[in-house]
Amino acid sequence: MKEFINKYNFITKTIFFAAIPLLLWYLGDVPLRSTFKESISILTILAFSAMIGQFYLTRGYRTIHKELKVSNLVRVHKFFGYIFIPILFIHPFLIVLPRYFESSVEPMDAFWTIITQFNSIGIILGLTAWTLMIAIGTTSFLRSKLMMGYKTWRILHGVLSISFIAVAAWHVIDLGRHSDLAMSIFFVVISIGGIILLFNTYFLNNHKSGAVGK
Amino acid sequence: MSISSINGCIGCESCIKSCPTDVIRLDPNTNKAVIKYPEDCQICHLCRMYCPVDAITISPEKTIPVIVSWG
Repeated sequence: MKEFINKYNFITKTIFFAAIPLLLWYLGDVPLRSTFKESISILTILAFSAMIGQFYLTRGYRTIHKELKVSNLVRVHKFFGYIFIPILFIHPFLIVLPRYFESSVEPMDAFWTIITQFNSIGIILGLTAWTLMIAIGTTSFLRSKLMMGYKTWRILHGVLSISFIAVAAWHVIDLGRHSDLAMSIFFVVISIGGIILLFNTYFLNNHKSGAVGK
Repeated sequence: MSISSINGCIGCESCIKSCPTDVIRLDPNTNKAVIKYPEDCQICHLCRMYCPVDAITISPEKTIPVIVSWG
């Protein structure tokens, strides 16, 4: 089993980051809504899980190199990032959109109500995470135009990612409809694991990183 | 009673303002709506309809007991 996991590290990790949240969603004691709304919830949960999974799809995570070459790893990392960042970017709109069809609540009114709740720590965290996520996406997409070296950009990317995942995980735990104890523990554990991995790569393994530059 | 749970409340107080029977209150510690007097719920669905994030669930299993006249 251990050999299998080591050999097919990428596949097992993908299943882990998709299957565990789905299982926790299924087992959670939250009232089921319409299929459309539950699909949006599942999509958002999977997108967030995949964003945390990005920490494990880096060249710092050496065990995954056995299956994926670094160039492929970067491609997969980019692919997941460019797929799931837009999903998390629009998820507040996906929450308010169904309200129009079932209760005639204007989506923009509902959205404005959400983003102006400054007495709610969950909303402030969400807005912060949203901004950080846009910064991550933009600085990644426009990397070649940023006039900075790869090492500097990589540190910026890491700092933004750690900040994003810490704030976003807190937001999810505070406001997530399906964030019961089990789901919260899962997100906290994989987030902390990812952050430790990044710290290990940037600050502890720096002397080994001859292949840091592109 | 009918209102059964509130998940993912953002504390906008729309449900509190819309409830005609004062079932929901704002928890001052968490700044989130809580079901305070569920027995007073009249199943009018106003709280659910006004909630911008669809946080309120009204249980279909629960109904107001029918008052039978024994005339």
